[in-house]
Amino acid sequence: MLKHHSLKKLALATLLVVSSSSVWADTSLTVAQRQDPNSWDPIDTFLVAWSSAGGSLFDGLVLRDENLKLQPGLATSWEILEDGLRMRFKLSEGVKFHNGEDFNADAVKFTFDRLLGEEGAKGPQRSNYLSIKSIEVVDDHTVDFVMNAPDPVMLTKLAGYGAMIVPPKYITEKGDAHFNMNPVGTGPFKFKSYTQGDKLELVINPDYFGGKPKLDNLTYRFIREDATRLAELQAGRVDVVHDIAFSAIPTVKENDSIEIVSVAGPSIMSYQFNTKAGITKDLKVRQAINMAVDKKVLIDAFLGGYGTPIDSLQGKLSFGYDPDLKGYPFDPEKAKQLLKEAGVKPGTEITIDYRANNAAVGEISQAMTSFLQNVGLNAKLKPIESSVFLNDIVPKGKTDELFQFTWGGWTFDFDNTAYLIYHDGERWNPYGTSEEMNKLLEAQRSIVDQDERLKILRQVGQLAHDNAYHLPLYNEDTIYAVSKKVKGFVPAPDRRMRYLTTTVEE
Amino acid sequence: MPIVSYFIKRFLQAAFVVVVVSLLVAFAIRMTGDPAMMMLGESANITEADLHNIREQMGLNRPFLVQYWGFMSGLFSGDLGDSFFRGAIAPLIWQAMKATMLLAIISLGVSMLISLPLGIYAARHKNSWGDQCIRILSLTGLSFPNFWLGIMLMLLFSVTLKWLPVSGFSGASSLILPALTIGIILTASNLRIIRSAMLEVLNSQYVMVARAKGLSEHRVIYRHALRNSAITIITYLGLQFGALMGGLVVVELVFNWPGMGTLAIESIAQRDYPILQTVVTVLAMLIVFVNLLVDVAYVMLDPRIRLE
Repeated sequence: MLKHHSLKKLALATLLVVSSSSVWADTSLTVAQRQDPNSWDPIDTFLVAWSSAGGSLFDGLVLRDENLKLQPGLATSWEILEDGLRMRFKLSEGVKFHNGEDFNADAVKFTFDRLLGEEGAKGPQRSNYLSIKSIEVVDDHTVDFVMNAPDPVMLTKLAGYGAMIVPPKYITEKGDAHFNMNPVGTGPFKFKSYTQGDKLELVINPDYFGGKPKLDNLTYRFIREDATRLAELQAGRVDVVHDIAFSAIPTVKENDSIEIVSVAGPSIMSYQFNTKAGITKDLKVRQAINMAVDKKVLIDAFLGGYGTPIDSLQGKLSFGYDPDLKGYPFDPEKAKQLLKEAGVKPGTEITIDYRANNAAVGEISQAMTSFLQNVGLNAKLKPIESSVFLNDIVPKGKTDELFQFTWGGWTFDFDNTAYLIYHDGERWNPYGTSEEMNKLLEAQRSIVDQDERLKILRQVGQLAHDNAYHLPLYNEDTIYAVSKKVKGFVPAPDRRMRYLTTTVEE
Repeated sequence: MPIVSYFIKRFLQAAFVVVVVSLLVAFAIRMTGDPAMMMLGESANITEADLHNIREQMGLNRPFLVQYWGFMSGLFSGDLGDSFFRGAIAPLIWQAMKATMLLAIISLGVSMLISLPLGIYAARHKNSWGDQCIRILSLTGLSFPNFWLGIMLMLLFSVTLKWLPVSGFSGASSLILPALTIGIILTASNLRIIRSAMLEVLNSQYVMVARAKGLSEHRVIYRHALRNSAITIITYLGLQFGALMGGLVVVELVFNWPGMGTLAIESIAQRDYPILQTVVTVLAMLIVFVNLLVDVAYVMLDPRIRLE
């Protein structure tokens, strides 16, 4: 009896200690992702791995929220002047960088002078912002962007990596190399330490202008091996895992303490046609192949259901998405008939090129062969080393009849995809499209009226569909594996997590 | 002087191997694609001028042999230069090398601690029940792929039992699982070689003589037999060093160990040639060096080789 009592007391005492300690303890969240971006200077990178952590350190004049809507960031308001040749921004007052430096119009000018100048030329971000001619400081809290030409996507791009506002004094004094490894921004979390290939530690910025975050510590760990990342989550040593392999979803679902959180993402998967050579020169053949593939089956089999079939090369979150675009139905009988009309004999060979380093794409390409077999085409697979594929095969128009095409449209604006793959002379358009297509693409680039642009982008989608330049398959979901201890997790479609409202319950 | 000329000959051979390997590495890496493209990204709006600029900055426009000479002379003067994406190379290599060597030495130590007594036991009690067990265990150990063993140990000790960290480096406890993984694989192969080397020696006449002299069994085994079988064992360990480094690459990846393997894999993913080239060349030099050491040790241990 006595024993029983003392046990109870002990349990009570433990409970008290545990509950009081959770009152005092800092709340910490640990995130694991595959890649270490290796540099924190926003203009040095295009990696998604950068933004998933960099978004907590830096702000742009404009921010894009989890619904991909543009919100005021460091700018409180803006207006478009002179038919889009000038954009005027009113800046937040009283904002400071993590090192105590004031944020003001000079910081904005410094940021863009740096991006468009010598330092920016060393990295991949500059080319996104070349429509900016110069930045004019109107007063301490007003800046004008003077444009070379109207750029309807600029506002969205100002939420992009390259446009993150950086501290002038800090960078001038310490140098670019120091800034790269010891970043300072205005974001909700401050830099604490960084060990290359291992982890990045951030701490709360209690004075964040967008409200105090609920987490005290935010740590990113870089773990390349998929199985290891998941094991860390299962062992409870990390709370959120990015880049979960679709094949690992069943394992996650079996575990009661973890859940999958998903949202439609920016990546699409498709195959493009060689429209200049082989049987795919014929529109009927291209349409037939579009009808031969059951996209839903591919999504269920390879993405665990975490994807949406598409009929143009964009997901439904993309600006330019057309809900009324009727895709080619899955209809093998009709496909056979079209092939017959095109004079293609059963058993005709066709080759699919794809990037060899991606196991998932290899499996999907194999599935494709059986769909094509089903309509009488004898499909061969040709895996090609990734950089050869991207440098020598696709841009130089040396592909076979079909070639894999994956695309991550980070702006979620169809222009960013469509122009680069449909406009003649572009790197990813080796076989050309049409004069009509070129005109549409050029027209929407100089229109500021977004409704008008949307109309044209939908026409672009329709035209591409009618000519069956490609076989659009699906829009991949962005998935996160999250510990159930984590509350208030809002998944970002573009992986730019900010963790403002997130907290962890022990 | 034959011994001096022998060493000079071996040294020149080693130097030749290093040159050939480093040339091959430099050439092969450049065959795999354009790092400038990689840097600008697939969906960036790329122009040939942008590509040209980046190549110019990276020094990729210089002739191959000029690039190679710059790399090799840098390597020997200690100035490893800069990587494409991660700043100066020398501190990166130094950090990674320390981590890898720590893991290699601990694993080798673990493996010797287990395999030496067990190997000697198996040889002394040949075909006994214990010997059979040891042989089966060793064969089983050899049959495990190292990454699989690593993941299994991780699932058991870190995920299910939660005794040890899963991955990364956060103190001595982080060493246990990766060292155990490599240690087990090494032990399996060491056991077999120690057993057979000891068996051979135990059957020799000088061991019989030693026993006939009435020496204690302990003295016979450790003073006479082990010392004579050491030549075989050390040669084998030297040869195994290359395999050990190869195994480390995979095991480091599984446990996210911040060593040369992880560094190599990351630089492959980013096509950071300068790092990759340095990592591979340094590892190759290390393996050549260890084998050179083995040859020297050989001569020291066995006076007969000196006379030949």
